[in-house]
Amino acid sequence: MSKKVLVVDDDPDVRSFVVTVLEENEYIPLVAQDGVEGFEVIQKDPPDLVILDVLMPRGSGIRLYRKLRTDKKFNKIPIIMFTGIAQRSFLKSQKALDEFKGGEVPKPDIYLEKPVEPEELAEAVKKKLG
Amino acid sequence: MKIKKLLFVTKFEELCYDALNSLLALRGAALEHVVFLNVIERDKVAMKRGSGYLKEEEVKLKETANIRFIDWAENLFEMGLEVGAYMEVSTLIPEILKVVKKESPDLIVIGRSHKGPLEHLYAGSDVIELIRRTDIPTLVFKHMKDDNIVPEKLFERPLFATNWSETGKKTVEYIKGLKEVIGEIHIIHVVKESALKSSDTHEVQKVRKTERKKLDNLCDELEEAGVNARPHVYVGEPQKEIEKAAKEYQATMVILGSSEKAAILERWMGSISKNIADNSIYPCLLIPGDKTV
Repeated sequence: MSKKVLVVDDDPDVRSFVVTVLEENEYIPLVAQDGVEGFEVIQKDPPDLVILDVLMPRGSGIRLYRKLRTDKKFNKIPIIMFTGIAQRSFLKSQKALDEFKGGEVPKPDIYLEKPVEPEELAEAVKKKLG
Repeated sequence: MKIKKLLFVTKFEELCYDALNSLLALRGAALEHVVFLNVIERDKVAMKRGSGYLKEEEVKLKETANIRFIDWAENLFEMGLEVGAYMEVSTLIPEILKVVKKESPDLIVIGRSHKGPLEHLYAGSDVIELIRRTDIPTLVFKHMKDDNIVPEKLFERPLFATNWSETGKKTVEYIKGLKEVIGEIHIIHVVKESALKSSDTHEVQKVRKTERKKLDNLCDELEEAGVNARPHVYVGEPQKEIEKAAKEYQATMVILGSSEKAAILERWMGSISKNIADNSIYPCLLIPGDKTV
Protein backbone atom coordinates (compact mmCIF):
# COMPACT_ATOMS: atom_id res chain seq x y z
CA MET A 1 0.00 0.00 0.00
CA SER A 2 1.30 3.46 -0.92
CA LYS A 3 2.56 5.58 1.92
CA LYS A 4 1.23 9.03 2.75
CA VAL A 5 3.53 12.04 2.85
CA LEU A 6 2.40 15.40 4.20
CA VAL A 7 3.95 18.51 2.63
CA VAL A 8 3.73 21.63 4.80
CA ASP A 9 4.81 24.74 2.90
CA ASP A 10 3.28 28.18 2.35
CA ASP A 11 4.66 28.52 -1.18
CA PRO A 12 2.26 26.99 -3.73
CA ASP A 13 5.09 26.48 -6.24
CA VAL A 14 7.06 24.46 -3.70
CA ARG A 15 3.99 22.41 -2.73
CA SER A 16 3.38 21.68 -6.37
CA PHE A 17 7.03 20.66 -6.93
CA VAL A 18 7.03 18.28 -3.94
CA VAL A 19 3.63 16.80 -4.83
CA THR A 20 4.87 16.04 -8.35
CA VAL A 21 8.00 14.33 -7.02
CA LEU A 22 5.91 12.29 -4.56
CA GLU A 23 3.36 11.21 -7.16
CA GLU A 24 6.08 10.25 -9.61
CA ASN A 25 7.49 7.98 -6.90
CA GLU A 26 4.08 6.51 -6.03
CA TYR A 27 3.54 8.11 -2.69
CA ILE A 28 0.25 9.71 -1.68
CA PRO A 29 0.75 13.44 -1.07
CA LEU A 30 -1.19 15.38 1.54
CA VAL A 31 -0.76 19.17 1.67
CA ALA A 32 -0.99 22.00 4.20
CA GLN A 33 0.02 25.62 3.80
CA ASP A 34 1.17 26.45 7.33
CA GLY A 35 2.01 24.90 10.67
CA VAL A 36 -1.49 25.21 12.08
CA GLU A 37 -3.11 23.54 9.09
CA GLY A 38 -0.32 20.97 9.04
CA PHE A 39 -1.10 19.83 12.59
CA GLU A 40 -4.80 19.63 11.79
CA VAL A 41 -4.06 17.31 8.85
CA ILE A 42 -1.75 15.16 11.00
CA GLN A 43 -4.42 14.77 13.67
CA LYS A 44 -7.08 13.82 11.15
CA ASP A 45 -5.00 11.60 8.92
CA PRO A 46 -1.54 10.80 10.35
CA PRO A 47 0.99 10.53 7.50
CA ASP A 48 3.99 8.20 7.27
CA LEU A 49 6.36 11.14 6.71
CA VAL A 50 6.25 14.93 6.97
CA ILE A 51 8.15 17.29 4.65
CA LEU A 52 8.27 20.54 6.55
CA ASP A 53 9.17 24.13 5.68
CA VAL A 54 10.35 26.44 8.49
CA LEU A 55 9.49 30.05 7.64
CA MET A 56 5.70 30.13 7.29
CA PRO A 57 2.85 32.32 8.48
CA ARG A 58 0.51 31.14 11.29
CA GLY A 59 2.80 28.80 13.16
CA SER A 60 6.25 28.17 11.77
CA GLY A 61 7.81 24.82 10.98
CA ILE A 62 9.85 25.13 14.16
CA ARG A 63 6.74 25.17 16.29
CA LEU A 64 5.21 22.23 14.43
CA TYR A 65 8.48 20.32 14.53
CA ARG A 66 8.74 20.64 18.30
CA LYS A 67 5.07 19.86 18.75
CA LEU A 68 5.42 16.63 16.81
CA ARG A 69 8.66 15.62 18.48
CA THR A 70 7.21 16.07 21.97
CA ASP A 71 3.82 14.49 21.25
CA LYS A 72 3.73 10.79 22.20
CA LYS A 73 1.16 10.08 19.49
CA PHE A 74 3.21 11.59 16.66
CA ASN A 75 6.84 11.56 17.75
CA LYS A 76 7.67 8.51 15.63
CA ILE A 77 6.65 10.17 12.36
CA PRO A 78 9.87 10.92 10.47
CA ILE A 79 10.39 14.52 9.43
CA ILE A 80 12.36 15.93 6.52
CA MET A 81 13.02 19.64 6.97
CA PHE A 82 12.82 21.32 3.57
CA THR A 83 13.57 25.00 3.84
CA GLY A 84 15.56 28.07 2.85
CA ILE A 85 16.64 28.51 6.48
CA ALA A 86 20.18 27.27 6.98
CA GLN A 87 20.57 24.10 9.05
CA ARG A 88 23.02 25.88 11.31
CA SER A 89 20.37 28.46 12.26
CA PHE A 90 17.74 25.76 12.73
CA LEU A 91 19.97 23.81 15.11
CA LYS A 92 20.81 26.97 17.04
CA SER A 93 17.09 27.74 17.36
CA GLN A 94 16.53 24.25 18.78
CA LYS A 95 19.31 24.75 21.28
CA ALA A 96 17.89 28.12 22.36
CA LEU A 97 14.41 26.64 22.74
CA ASP A 98 15.73 23.59 24.60
CA GLU A 99 17.43 25.91 27.09
CA PHE A 100 14.39 28.17 27.39
CA LYS A 101 11.72 25.49 27.61
CA GLY A 102 13.76 22.72 29.19
CA GLY A 103 14.29 19.26 27.71
CA GLU A 104 15.98 18.31 24.51
CA VAL A 105 14.24 17.77 21.21
CA PRO A 106 16.05 15.38 18.81
CA LYS A 107 17.48 16.62 15.53
CA PRO A 108 15.44 16.19 12.34
CA ASP A 109 15.86 12.95 10.40
CA ILE A 110 16.95 14.76 7.24
CA TYR A 111 17.59 18.44 6.56
CA LEU A 112 17.38 19.70 2.98
CA GLU A 113 18.16 23.31 2.12
CA LYS A 114 16.14 24.71 -0.79
CA PRO A 115 16.43 24.47 -3.68
CA VAL A 116 17.03 20.78 -4.36
CA GLU A 117 16.79 18.65 -7.46
CA PRO A 118 13.81 16.28 -7.71
CA GLU A 119 16.13 13.26 -7.48
CA GLU A 120 17.63 14.49 -4.20
CA LEU A 121 14.18 14.95 -2.66
CA ALA A 122 12.96 11.57 -3.92
CA GLU A 123 16.06 9.90 -2.54
CA ALA A 124 15.54 11.49 0.88
CA VAL A 125 11.93 10.30 0.99
CA LYS A 126 12.93 6.78 -0.09
CA LYS A 127 15.61 6.71 2.58
CA LYS A 128 12.95 7.18 5.25
CA LEU A 129 10.07 5.22 3.73
CA GLY A 130 11.66 2.75 1.39
CA MET B 1 -1.17 43.84 28.26
CA LYS B 2 1.89 41.94 27.02
CA ILE B 3 3.46 42.09 23.57
CA LYS B 4 3.81 38.43 22.62
CA LYS B 5 3.52 38.77 18.88
CA LEU B 6 4.48 41.66 16.64
CA LEU B 7 3.77 42.30 12.99
CA PHE B 8 6.69 43.98 11.23
CA VAL B 9 5.55 45.66 8.01
CA THR B 10 8.40 46.63 5.72
CA LYS B 11 9.16 47.75 2.20
CA PHE B 12 12.86 47.43 3.15
CA GLU B 13 13.69 50.96 2.03
CA GLU B 14 12.15 52.55 5.14
CA LEU B 15 12.39 49.86 7.79
CA CYS B 16 15.28 47.47 8.13
CA TYR B 17 16.97 45.07 10.48
CA ASP B 18 18.24 47.79 12.81
CA ALA B 19 14.62 48.73 13.57
CA LEU B 20 13.75 45.10 14.13
CA ASN B 21 16.81 44.64 16.28
CA SER B 22 15.81 47.56 18.49
CA LEU B 23 12.51 45.78 19.19
CA LEU B 24 14.13 42.61 20.38
CA ALA B 25 14.39 44.03 23.89
CA LEU B 26 10.74 43.00 24.04
CA ARG B 27 11.95 39.43 24.45
CA GLY B 28 12.68 40.47 28.03
CA ALA B 29 8.98 41.24 28.42
CA ALA B 30 7.02 38.59 26.58
CA LEU B 31 7.86 38.63 22.88
CA GLU B 32 7.74 35.14 21.34
CA HIS B 33 6.73 35.61 17.75
CA VAL B 34 7.61 38.02 14.92
CA VAL B 35 5.62 38.10 11.67
CA PHE B 36 7.09 39.86 8.63
CA LEU B 37 4.92 41.41 5.97
CA ASN B 38 6.15 42.81 2.67
CA VAL B 39 3.46 44.30 0.46
CA ILE B 40 4.43 44.79 -3.16
CA GLU B 41 2.25 47.63 -4.41
CA ARG B 42 0.16 46.55 -7.38
CA ASP B 43 1.44 49.32 -9.63
CA LYS B 44 4.93 47.78 -9.51
CA VAL B 45 3.73 44.68 -11.33
CA ALA B 46 0.55 45.98 -12.96
CA MET B 47 -0.40 45.47 -16.54
CA LYS B 48 1.52 47.85 -18.78
CA ARG B 49 0.71 48.62 -22.39
CA GLY B 50 2.69 46.29 -24.61
CA SER B 51 4.15 44.16 -21.80
CA GLY B 52 1.10 42.76 -19.93
CA TYR B 53 1.21 41.68 -16.29
CA LEU B 54 4.82 41.77 -15.09
CA LYS B 55 5.01 38.24 -13.72
CA GLU B 56 8.80 38.16 -13.86
CA GLU B 57 8.94 41.40 -11.88
CA GLU B 58 6.59 39.91 -9.27
CA VAL B 59 8.77 36.82 -8.92
CA LYS B 60 11.88 38.97 -8.65
CA LEU B 61 10.38 41.26 -5.99
CA LYS B 62 8.97 38.36 -3.97
CA GLU B 63 12.24 36.44 -4.07
CA THR B 64 14.20 39.54 -3.09
CA ALA B 65 11.91 39.96 -0.08
CA ASN B 66 12.16 36.27 0.69
CA ILE B 67 15.97 36.39 0.75
CA ARG B 68 15.91 39.37 3.15
CA PHE B 69 13.31 37.71 5.38
CA ILE B 70 15.25 34.43 5.48
CA ASP B 71 18.33 36.31 6.65
CA TRP B 72 16.39 38.17 9.34
CA ALA B 73 14.46 35.06 10.33
CA GLU B 74 17.64 33.05 10.83
CA ASN B 75 18.83 35.62 13.37
CA LEU B 76 15.52 35.53 15.21
CA PHE B 77 15.20 31.75 15.10
CA GLU B 78 18.66 31.48 16.63
CA MET B 79 17.37 33.55 19.56
CA GLY B 80 14.56 31.05 20.05
CA LEU B 81 11.83 33.26 18.57
CA GLU B 82 9.00 32.12 16.34
CA VAL B 83 8.98 33.76 12.90
CA GLY B 84 6.47 33.91 10.07
CA ALA B 85 6.46 35.80 6.78
CA TYR B 86 4.04 37.08 4.16
CA MET B 87 4.97 38.53 0.78
CA GLU B 88 1.95 39.72 -1.18
CA VAL B 89 1.12 41.81 -4.20
CA SER B 90 -1.65 43.93 -2.80
CA THR B 91 -2.61 47.30 -1.34
CA LEU B 92 -0.85 48.15 1.91
CA ILE B 93 -3.57 48.85 4.47
CA PRO B 94 -6.09 46.16 3.40
CA GLU B 95 -3.26 43.61 3.35
CA ILE B 96 -2.08 44.61 6.82
CA LEU B 97 -5.64 44.24 8.10
CA LYS B 98 -5.94 40.81 6.48
CA VAL B 99 -2.73 39.62 8.16
CA VAL B 100 -3.81 41.18 11.48
CA LYS B 101 -6.97 39.07 11.30
CA LYS B 102 -4.99 35.88 10.64
CA GLU B 103 -2.19 36.48 13.14
CA SER B 104 -3.73 38.63 15.93
CA PRO B 105 -0.52 40.56 16.76
CA ASP B 106 -0.19 42.69 19.90
CA LEU B 107 1.81 45.37 18.07
CA ILE B 108 2.12 46.53 14.47
CA VAL B 109 5.43 48.11 13.43
CA ILE B 110 5.41 50.21 10.28
CA GLY B 111 7.62 52.79 8.57
CA ARG B 112 6.28 56.25 7.87
CA SER B 113 4.57 56.49 4.50
CA HIS B 114 6.12 58.28 1.56
CA LYS B 115 3.02 59.99 0.26
CA GLY B 116 3.48 63.54 -0.91
CA PRO B 117 1.71 66.48 0.72
CA LEU B 118 -1.13 66.50 -1.81
CA GLU B 119 -1.82 62.79 -1.47
CA HIS B 120 -1.77 63.26 2.31
CA LEU B 121 -4.34 66.00 2.05
CA TYR B 122 -6.81 63.94 0.06
CA ALA B 123 -6.11 60.42 1.24
CA GLY B 124 -4.60 60.87 4.71
CA SER B 125 -1.43 59.03 5.67
CA ASP B 126 -1.19 55.24 5.65
CA VAL B 127 -0.41 55.33 9.35
CA ILE B 128 -3.53 57.25 10.31
CA GLU B 129 -5.60 55.10 7.96
CA LEU B 130 -4.24 52.07 9.78
CA ILE B 131 -4.91 53.51 13.24
CA ARG B 132 -8.44 54.37 12.17
CA ARG B 133 -9.11 50.81 11.05
CA THR B 134 -7.45 48.75 13.75
CA ASP B 135 -7.38 48.75 17.52
CA ILE B 136 -3.90 47.22 17.62
CA PRO B 137 -1.17 49.56 18.95
CA THR B 138 1.10 50.75 16.16
CA LEU B 139 4.73 51.76 16.32
CA VAL B 140 5.74 54.18 13.57
CA PHE B 141 9.38 54.34 12.58
CA LYS B 142 10.78 57.20 10.58
CA HIS B 143 12.25 57.08 7.14
CA MET B 144 15.86 56.06 7.49
CA LYS B 145 18.31 58.84 6.91
CA ASP B 146 21.96 59.13 7.74
CA ASP B 147 21.15 61.43 10.64
CA ASN B 148 18.25 59.37 11.92
CA ILE B 149 19.69 56.22 13.39
CA VAL B 150 17.28 53.91 15.17
CA PRO B 151 18.04 53.92 18.91
CA GLU B 152 19.52 50.65 20.00
CA LYS B 153 17.51 50.62 23.21
CA LEU B 154 14.11 51.71 21.99
CA PHE B 155 12.33 51.23 25.31
CA GLU B 156 15.07 52.70 27.51
CA ARG B 157 13.57 56.20 27.89
CA PRO B 158 10.12 56.55 26.29
CA LEU B 159 8.20 59.77 26.61
CA PHE B 160 4.47 59.39 27.19
CA ALA B 161 2.38 62.45 26.38
CA THR B 162 -1.00 62.34 28.10
CA ASN B 163 -4.06 64.53 27.70
CA TRP B 164 -5.97 62.58 30.38
CA SER B 165 -8.31 60.99 27.83
CA GLU B 166 -9.83 57.50 27.98
CA THR B 167 -7.24 56.44 25.39
CA GLY B 168 -4.59 57.67 27.81
CA LYS B 169 -5.86 55.21 30.43
CA LYS B 170 -5.61 52.36 27.92
CA THR B 171 -2.08 53.51 27.11
CA VAL B 172 -1.13 53.38 30.80
CA GLU B 173 -2.22 49.74 30.95
CA TYR B 174 -0.14 49.03 27.85
CA ILE B 175 2.90 50.71 29.42
CA LYS B 176 2.53 48.54 32.53
CA GLY B 177 2.89 45.50 30.27
CA LEU B 178 6.30 46.81 29.21
CA LYS B 179 7.70 47.10 32.73
CA GLU B 180 10.50 44.59 32.08
CA VAL B 181 11.94 46.63 29.21
CA ILE B 182 11.33 50.27 30.13
CA GLY B 183 14.31 51.91 31.82
CA GLU B 184 12.54 55.10 32.87
CA ILE B 185 9.47 56.68 31.36
CA HIS B 186 9.01 60.45 31.20
CA ILE B 187 5.37 61.50 31.38
CA ILE B 188 4.43 64.88 30.05
CA HIS B 189 1.22 66.87 30.05
CA VAL B 190 1.17 70.01 27.95
CA VAL B 191 -0.98 72.85 29.27
CA LYS B 192 -2.18 75.02 26.43
CA GLU B 193 -1.29 78.67 26.81
CA SER B 194 -4.98 79.56 26.59
CA ALA B 195 -5.53 77.78 29.93
CA LEU B 196 -3.10 80.21 31.58
CA LYS B 197 -4.79 83.41 30.47
CA SER B 198 -5.12 85.06 33.82
CA SER B 199 -3.46 88.12 35.22
CA ASP B 200 -3.42 86.40 38.59
CA THR B 201 -0.13 84.52 39.15
CA HIS B 202 -1.83 82.46 41.82
CA GLU B 203 -4.38 81.12 39.30
CA VAL B 204 -1.67 80.25 36.82
CA GLN B 205 0.31 78.40 39.50
CA LYS B 206 -2.86 76.57 40.53
CA VAL B 207 -3.20 75.13 37.01
CA ARG B 208 0.36 73.90 37.11
CA LYS B 209 -0.08 72.42 40.59
CA THR B 210 -3.26 70.57 39.61
CA GLU B 211 -1.68 69.04 36.52
CA ARG B 212 1.48 68.17 38.39
CA LYS B 213 -0.56 66.42 41.10
CA LYS B 214 -2.33 64.32 38.46
CA LEU B 215 1.02 63.43 36.91
CA ASP B 216 2.43 62.48 40.32
CA ASN B 217 -0.50 60.15 40.88
CA LEU B 218 0.05 58.57 37.49
CA CYS B 219 3.76 58.12 38.22
CA ASP B 220 2.90 56.50 41.56
CA GLU B 221 0.51 54.13 39.79
CA LEU B 222 3.20 53.15 37.29
CA GLU B 223 5.89 52.78 39.93
CA GLU B 224 3.59 50.49 41.90
CA ALA B 225 3.36 48.40 38.74
CA GLY B 226 7.16 48.33 38.48
CA VAL B 227 7.79 51.11 35.93
CA ASN B 228 10.13 53.99 36.86
CA ALA B 229 8.39 57.23 35.92
CA ARG B 230 9.11 60.96 36.04
CA PRO B 231 6.48 63.68 35.60
CA HIS B 232 6.81 66.93 33.63
CA VAL B 233 4.42 69.82 33.01
CA TYR B 234 5.03 71.85 29.86
CA VAL B 235 3.21 74.89 28.58
CA GLY B 236 2.56 75.80 24.95
CA GLU B 237 1.57 74.25 21.68
CA PRO B 238 1.37 70.48 22.37
CA GLN B 239 3.16 69.16 19.30
CA LYS B 240 6.07 71.53 19.70
CA GLU B 241 6.35 70.94 23.46
CA ILE B 242 6.22 67.16 23.13
CA GLU B 243 9.08 67.31 20.62
CA LYS B 244 10.96 69.67 22.92
CA ALA B 245 10.53 67.37 25.93
CA ALA B 246 11.57 64.35 23.90
CA LYS B 247 14.75 66.17 22.96
CA GLU B 248 15.45 67.46 26.48
CA TYR B 249 15.09 64.05 28.06
CA GLN B 250 16.74 62.21 25.16
CA ALA B 251 13.65 60.12 24.62
CA THR B 252 14.06 56.90 22.69
CA MET B 253 10.43 56.98 21.51
CA VAL B 254 7.21 58.93 21.98
CA ILE B 255 4.05 57.18 23.20
CA LEU B 256 0.67 58.70 22.38
CA GLY B 257 -2.97 57.72 22.63
CA SER B 258 -4.97 58.18 19.45
CA SER B 259 -8.76 58.37 19.58
CA GLU B 260 -10.97 57.36 16.68
CA LYS B 261 -12.53 60.79 16.74
CA ALA B 262 -9.12 62.36 16.33
CA ALA B 263 -8.32 60.00 13.48
CA ILE B 264 -11.44 61.08 11.59
CA LEU B 265 -10.94 64.75 12.30
CA GLU B 266 -7.28 64.73 11.40
CA ARG B 267 -7.97 64.23 7.74
CA TRP B 268 -9.41 67.73 7.72
CA MET B 269 -7.90 69.47 10.69
CA GLY B 270 -4.74 67.65 11.69
CA SER B 271 -4.30 66.04 15.11
CA ILE B 272 -1.42 65.99 17.54
CA SER B 273 -0.92 62.23 17.23
CA LYS B 274 -0.98 62.38 13.45
CA ASN B 275 1.34 65.33 13.24
CA ILE B 276 3.83 63.79 15.62
CA ALA B 277 3.63 60.38 13.93
CA ASP B 278 4.18 62.03 10.56
CA ASN B 279 6.75 64.66 11.44
CA SER B 280 8.63 63.76 14.59
CA ILE B 281 12.16 62.46 14.34
CA TYR B 282 11.31 60.00 17.13
CA PRO B 283 9.70 56.59 16.69
CA CYS B 284 6.06 56.92 17.82
CA LEU B 285 3.96 54.29 19.52
CA LEU B 286 0.28 55.08 18.90
CA ILE B 287 -2.31 53.37 21.07
CA PRO B 288 -5.74 53.55 19.46
CA GLY B 289 -8.83 53.93 21.61
CA ASP B 290 -11.61 51.35 21.72
CA LYS B 291 -13.57 51.55 18.52
CA THR B 292 -16.84 51.84 20.46
CA VAL B 293 -15.73 54.98 22.35
